Amino acid sequence: MIRQTSPVFRIRPPATDLRAASGKSIDIIEIKFKNKNLIMPHPSFLDEIEKSAGVTVAECYQCYRCTNGCPVARDMDIVPHRVIAYIIKGEREKVLTSTAIWTCLQCITCSVRCPNGIDIARVIETARRLSIESGLAAQRDTRLFDGLMIDSVERHGRLYELETIMRYRLSKKEFFKDTALGLDMIRKGRIGLAPHNIRDRKTLRAIIRVIKEGTGK
Amino acid sequence: MIALSYYPGCSLASSSSFYDRSLRKVLAYYGVALNELDDWSCCGAAAAPTIHQNLTDVLAARNIALAEREGLHLLAPCSACYARSKAASLKIAGDRATRDMVNQALAPLSCTGSVEVKNVIEVFLQYVGVERIAASAAYKLGAIRAVSYYGCLLTRIMGVPSSDDTEDPTGMDVILDALGAVVVPWQYKTECCGAGSTITNSEGTAELSGRIMTMAVRAGASAIVTTCPLCQLNLDLVVHLRKNAAALPVFFLTEIFEFALFGAIEGGGRHLIPADDIERSIETPGGDHQ
Repeated sequence: MIRQTSPVFRIRPPATDLRAASGKSIDIIEIKFKNKNLIMPHPSFLDEIEKSAGVTVAECYQCYRCTNGCPVARDMDIVPHRVIAYIIKGEREKVLTSTAIWTCLQCITCSVRCPNGIDIARVIETARRLSIESGLAAQRDTRLFDGLMIDSVERHGRLYELETIMRYRLSKKEFFKDTALGLDMIRKGRIGLAPHNIRDRKTLRAIIRVIKEGTGK
Repeated sequence: MIALSYYPGCSLASSSSFYDRSLRKVLAYYGVALNELDDWSCCGAAAAPTIHQNLTDVLAARNIALAEREGLHLLAPCSACYARSKAASLKIAGDRATRDMVNQALAPLSCTGSVEVKNVIEVFLQYVGVERIAASAAYKLGAIRAVSYYGCLLTRIMGVPSSDDTEDPTGMDVILDALGAVVVPWQYKTECCGAGSTITNSEGTAELSGRIMTMAVRAGASAIVTTCPLCQLNLDLVVHLRKNAAALPVFFLTEIFEFALFGAIEGGGRHLIPADDIERSIETPGGDHQ
C-alpha cells in the first residue's frame, strides 16, 4: 500500500518525462490516487515481448554484463542492457526501429552470462520478428537473406548455397561484390554448386508453407 | 562396434564436404559406424527463427523424428545443427505443447525427444576415449602448435546443460594433447567468428574473425583447430578479407586425427589458407621428416 502522507515514501516522476513522451511512442497508464496521479509506462510492450519470447525480461537489474560480453556492442545504436531497459520502459518504437537488434549475431554470450537468466538473445530475436511484422525494421538484409535461405530449404529440403548467395546478390544489385573471394572458393570447392534435393521435399514444402501462412508472410 | 545416427547438415554436404569425408574416415578407423539419416533436411540454422519460432522447432524436429526411427544416438558435427537439434530434442521431450505442435505438422513422422544429440568432441571422448586416441597416434605432431577454437554454439545453448565448461571448454584441448599436438593456451576459445552474417555483413565478420586470427598468432600458435564448418569457413576467409594480416591454417579436429593416424590429410587443397607447412612438419613414426 502506498500511503500518500508518508514522509519517507514519495512518488517521484521518472527520469524521462513520460507525459511529454506519451504523445510520441510511449504508452502510459495513470493510476489515480486521492490527490495525486501516478504515471507509469504501460507494460504492453513488455508483455508483448515476454509472451512472444517466453522470457521474463522484467527481472533485469541493469548489471551491464550482457553488454560487457557482447562482441558487437560497439557497433550497436542501443547496447543490449539498454535494449532491455527500453523494453521495460515501454519504448516500443525505439527498440523495434533500432539497428542493434540486427547487429546481434545470436552468439548467446549475453544469455548464458545473465545473472537473472534472461535469454537476451531470444528477446532480440523476438524483437526482430516484431519489427518486421510492424514494418519498423531498420535493416532488411538479414531478413532478406534468412528468407532466401528458408526459400531454398522449401524448394530443395537443404540449403543450396550458390543459389541463395546469387539471389541475395541480385536483389541487392551487388553483382561484383567479393568476386575474387568467390572464385577462389569455387576453385577450391568451398561453395555448393549443385542443389541437394531431398526425396520428401514436397511434404516439407507444404509444412513450411503452412507455418509461413500463419505469419501472414 | 559402435553405431551412431549421422546428421551431416547442409555445410558438410556442400561447402565443407571434405570435413564429412575426414570425419567418416577417422571414425571408421576407430570402429564407430555412422548411419546417415535417410533423407535428412536443413535444421533451419539461424534463418528459421527470424521467420517463426514454430518453423525453428519443426525443421529441427523432422531430423529428430528420422533419428528416433533408427533408435541410435545422433551425431551432428556442425555446431548450428547440433545446437538446434539438441535444443529442439529437449524441448520436445519436456514441453507437451511443442511436442504436439511438431508432431501435428510432421505427421506421419513423429518424435518424443528420446534421441541424444552429440557433437564431434563428445563422440570422440565418449565412444573412442582418450587412452585409445593417444595409443593410436602413429605420427608425431610435436611441430603443430594448436589453439582449440570452439566458437559459440558448441557450449552455449540456452537452457541446455553443456557437456563442457561454457566459458572455458577443454574437451578439444584434451583430444589434441592425446594426439600429440602442442596445445597453446589462449583466451578466444568461445569468441564469436561472425556467424551467419558472412554474406550480409562481410566487413563485420572479417573484423571478428580477423581478431580471433590475430589472437591465435599472438598466442604463438601455428594452427587453429575447430569442429564447426561455419567457424572454419569464416576464419579461412580472413585471407581474402584481411589481406595484410598474418593467417594461420584452420583445421577441422578430424584433420588433426588424419595427421596423427595417416600422416596426411585428404582435404588439403580445400583450405583457403594453405595447410602445406603444417603437412610438411609431420614426422613419421621413425622420427624422420617425411
